[in-house]
Amino acid sequence: MMRYIKSLENKDLSLTVSMIPLGSCTMKLTAATELLPLTWPEFAGMHPFVPVEQAAGYKKIIQELENALCKATDLAAASLQPNSGAQGEFTGLLVIRTYHHDHKQPQRVVTLIPSSAHGTNPASAVMAGMKVIVVNCDAKGNIDVDDLRAKATQYKETLAALMVTYPSTHGVFEELIKEICDIIHKNGGLVYMDGANLNAQVGLTSPGVIGADVCHINLHKTFAIPHGGGGPGMGPICVTKQLAPYLPGHPILKVGGEKAIYAVSSAPWGSANILLISYAYIRMLGIEGLTDATRIAILNANYLKSRLENNYPILYQGKNGRVGHEFILNMKQFKEQADIEVGDIAKRLMDYGFHAPTVSFPVHDTLMIEPTESEPKSELDRFIDAMIAIRKELQDIIDGKLDKIDNPLKNAPHTTITAMNDSWNHRYTREQAVFPVPSLKKNKFWPSVGRIDNTYGDRNIFCVCPPIEEYKEK
Amino acid sequence: MKHQKSEFLARHLGPRGREITKMFKAIGVRSIDELIDQTIPDSIRKKQQSQMDTGKTEFEVLEELREIAKKNIVLKSYLGQGYCNCITPSVIQRNIFENPGWYTQYTPYQPEISQGRLEALLNFQTMVADFTGLPVANASLLDEGTAAAEAMSMAYGIVNRSSRKTANKFFVSARCFRQTIDVVLTRAMPHSIEVVVGNPETVNFDDTFFGALVQYPGEDGAVINLRPFIEKVHHAGAVAVVATDLLALALLTPPGEFNADIVIGNSQRFGVPLGYGGPHAAFFATKNEYIRVMPGRIIGVSLDAQKNTAYRMALQTREQHIRREKATSNICTAQALLAIMAGMYAVYHGPEGIKEIASRIHSLTALLEIELKKRGFMQLSENYFDTLRIQAKDRKQAERILQLAFESGYNLRFIEDKYIGISLDETSTLQDIEKLLNVFTRIKGAPIKPGALDDSFRNFYDAIY
Repeated sequence: MMRYIKSLENKDLSLTVSMIPLGSCTMKLTAATELLPLTWPEFAGMHPFVPVEQAAGYKKIIQELENALCKATDLAAASLQPNSGAQGEFTGLLVIRTYHHDHKQPQRVVTLIPSSAHGTNPASAVMAGMKVIVVNCDAKGNIDVDDLRAKATQYKETLAALMVTYPSTHGVFEELIKEICDIIHKNGGLVYMDGANLNAQVGLTSPGVIGADVCHINLHKTFAIPHGGGGPGMGPICVTKQLAPYLPGHPILKVGGEKAIYAVSSAPWGSANILLISYAYIRMLGIEGLTDATRIAILNANYLKSRLENNYPILYQGKNGRVGHEFILNMKQFKEQADIEVGDIAKRLMDYGFHAPTVSFPVHDTLMIEPTESEPKSELDRFIDAMIAIRKELQDIIDGKLDKIDNPLKNAPHTTITAMNDSWNHRYTREQAVFPVPSLKKNKFWPSVGRIDNTYGDRNIFCVCPPIEEYKEK
Repeated sequence: MKHQKSEFLARHLGPRGREITKMFKAIGVRSIDELIDQTIPDSIRKKQQSQMDTGKTEFEVLEELREIAKKNIVLKSYLGQGYCNCITPSVIQRNIFENPGWYTQYTPYQPEISQGRLEALLNFQTMVADFTGLPVANASLLDEGTAAAEAMSMAYGIVNRSSRKTANKFFVSARCFRQTIDVVLTRAMPHSIEVVVGNPETVNFDDTFFGALVQYPGEDGAVINLRPFIEKVHHAGAVAVVATDLLALALLTPPGEFNADIVIGNSQRFGVPLGYGGPHAAFFATKNEYIRVMPGRIIGVSLDAQKNTAYRMALQTREQHIRREKATSNICTAQALLAIMAGMYAVYHGPEGIKEIASRIHSLTALLEIELKKRGFMQLSENYFDTLRIQAKDRKQAERILQLAFESGYNLRFIEDKYIGISLDETSTLQDIEKLLNVFTRIKGAPIKPGALDDSFRNFYDAIY
């Protein structure tokens, strides 16, 4: 059994192997100490519906964590119930909707969403019974404030909310965010902030300072819960005082506000066991440490950006040429010049021992990179070396030194089976295929299978949220 | 004492010391403050720092957590309602749950470097399909309540997409878990879906309903024959959803054989700790014809460039859902780690092992029922798997029994009025049955002597297994 488990583990690239620079995912260090208490019997063995007085330890964790999250967001109250970021969005919007209902404004269902938003935003809005109206972004990736003002005014009788990610999904701190929030408030709406990028805010700014009324927090991003290979996650929400009465309740244990909406999760505090991770993280960093983490996350992103910008175009940056905690490389030119798709570059990174950054989100033909505060300079440099080496391979294709079809990018990733095959008949060497930089000879992670056929049997519709354009007003 | 606040911080942060200076140089700034000033607009900077404690060391935090842990009183909780004690096999605890090689990966968007967990999730899907008697399952959902709400949305889409009328009623058996009913209501309300909570045997199920949800076994433990109700649901052109317990299905007829369209539930008792409510992996299975409208991630088998078998995420139906005007799901994540644990629990025990565990639990439950009846306590479920519904004389007596159970180290469920629920689990032993019986014999009947039940347990077990 142990060997079977290990054999599977060996096929997966995890943070034990290398950095996973996925934009908007915040794959930071999740220290062993933070996870240690999870399996202690006092925490692991507790049924969710025991009389509350038996769970005084959990109660303390829950209260302190709620307080800490409220302080970090500068908001008034929290619900730990939502079990994912998307669930947090749904909950936050339901809270807004219920607030409007309770204030005799049930017609307020219009939710403005910028075109740069993550696809879950409109999906959650529709689930919460909202009508989605898309707001345009300008060439720099910022919300088009004129369009926003026009739409907020046009729908001022029915405006429920704006859903906004900050810093934007393009990795930029928009200068006009306060004005944006004001416009919404003046037209009777509330501001929902998607907290996916909270790792760029903690300690330096906050949803409350910016003017948001509700914010979800991906504890599995900003507050160190590991991603578990695709869950668990947690998406608690923080709200202003006026929204606190509507925080979700539970039929068995008393939680939430006095006018609570129905439960959004089966358990009163969602996945309570993993709250211990965020609790330990916050306790060990303290407020100073949390702020330092934000600073270093921004430092790491700007370092990578500065080292890569001569090789790849940066899609968006702030007015001083800085990026937030993540940034986007535009790969479009290589499609035109070398017939290389961004997906080929992502697969080629595997040969260099890396997990690709986020591919084609929020913009097609791009890579979005988020290094987090936890990666040391040596790992960032290793990634930079890989990206520069790939850039050289791209140039070789453009210059005709590498074949346009039979090249290391198109054939990536290379497995041991292909590399060791007696009949190697590619138009580049095995060494170039599997050891393109010398450091790989000392330590290399081998992909266990080659490029997976996406069209085979055409049963393979990929998991990306649909483009926001789908929601544009007809 | 040495000031240690930065001890952990330095470990958490990657760059250090002179490296940082080099990074400043590459960026073209002189200090971190200069970089931050250039990055975050001044108008939104926090002027006042919030007051939080300064950082503690790893050792200090573990000590603190040990003290906090002591405030939790962990009894044997036989409260059921979708959450049961279980035994996490040590090999799974150490090599998966506590292993960063398993818990620090991302969602398998890059399948070539994710084959390990894709195979493990495929195991989970296969296990769910086998137990539920349905051909396809997804790679898990957030929790049982969410799975039920997703099933409702899916049923709504199936029925209302294929017909001109709009059926907007969803029936929910009153024997569903209360928290499940709540989560279903949350999801139904914004879409004007009318949720009708009632008794499946007496409901007038007409074509104004698009679907129905029943719990099997029910929240009070009762196992009823689902076939007549599911026929009624299908007759009305609606979709039948069954919430169930995988372990019970090791002994009971799987809902798929009753022609259920969607089967959901919590896989927690397959080796995943209770953890005060989660995280646990909910499962979701359906028929082949609905695979394209099933929510959540589905792992599929494909081929790589060398024509070797390779796994990948397939059919991300969420896309299709979101595109529609009546978008039904925002599902973006799953409970991969917990689904992998549950799948590995099935691998660890094998089908025979699981059946053995289920048989043991059911034998103990049956034994408890017989002995309670001998002592004059009424048990109200004709058929059951692991949960009994005991009727006390009155509310006062029920409360007294709960109190005595508590003093003996057990949490029993106060259902309502004079009714008590007892849900046994994988960790229950004959000694537990003896202790529980002696809780009841404090009220009435002859106490039980240690070892007195051994023979009758063996007989029950042999008869079932």
